[in-house]
Amino acid sequence: MTAQANHSEENKSLRPQEGPKRHIITFIVSIFLTALAFFAVAYMPESPFVIPFIVLIGLVQAGFQLYVWMHLDQKGHEFPAIGIWMGVFFVTAFIIVFIYWLGGY
Amino acid sequence: MSTEVSTNLPPHPEKATLEGKNKVLGFWLFLGGEVILFGSLFATFIALRSSFGSGPASQELFSLPLTAVATFILLTSSLTSVLGIQAMHRNDLSGVLKWFGITVLFGVAFLGLEIYEFFEYVHEGHTMSSGAFGSAFYTLVGFHGAHVLGGVCWITGLIAKLPKKGLNVVTAPKIYVASLYWHFIDLVWVFIFTVVYLMGKVG
Repeated sequence: MTAQANHSEENKSLRPQEGPKRHIITFIVSIFLTALAFFAVAYMPESPFVIPFIVLIGLVQAGFQLYVWMHLDQKGHEFPAIGIWMGVFFVTAFIIVFIYWLGGY
Repeated sequence: MSTEVSTNLPPHPEKATLEGKNKVLGFWLFLGGEVILFGSLFATFIALRSSFGSGPASQELFSLPLTAVATFILLTSSLTSVLGIQAMHRNDLSGVLKWFGITVLFGVAFLGLEIYEFFEYVHEGHTMSSGAFGSAFYTLVGFHGAHVLGGVCWITGLIAKLPKKGLNVVTAPKIYVASLYWHFIDLVWVFIFTVVYLMGKVG
């Protein structure tokens, strides 16, 4: 009897501890950041800081997607994380090379 | 494949079997390739984004409210798909069907907006051949739209099969991988609205 109780307790602790709360908070922060980016562009398009600002917001949002919603933060995701970061490394190189090569900004 | 599938789902049903684990890992490898694919398209777009040719400039072309609505739709669909995964972890089949059904509806709404948007742009003279900006724009945004369409068809297929197959260690990896794909589509859109629309509006 006790063994069984222990077993079910163990099973319970193995279950992913998740509720909708964390995701809803992330969602609200995401919407807020998106709104911030849109307002920055709508109300101060002349500012030299607006592009770095919205790109930074984009990077934060991408981090939310990967680490909160795609669970890249959970154990056993080392290999996927290496893959994604390798991709990001190459993409950064592409963007820098293309901009210097072809112009644009 | 075992003929007798337990109704008790293990804690992480998507990774409970070796097949499931491999499916998830293989899908992450695919996503790594997708990062490179979209990254190349982004690099091309950034380099060509002010070569308007005979088409209108991006500042007068883009409409922020339309992009804001599309962004809101896609961000919300990311939330509904993660709620679907949580329902799956609770072994709640009707919850999975409900949340993924909503996700598909949001996807269809997004596609509708995009088609309307492209239609308007072509009317204003912004086409695939109006300039390098036009070519890079339709290739990048169109590729993303095609991914959304692919995701809509994929998840619709899952929803159609799930009531019969039920939730088990065979179907769970399929659902999980589809939700990873959907989040990835949303991730790409975050950069599209930032780099294409917002930066296009700034000039």
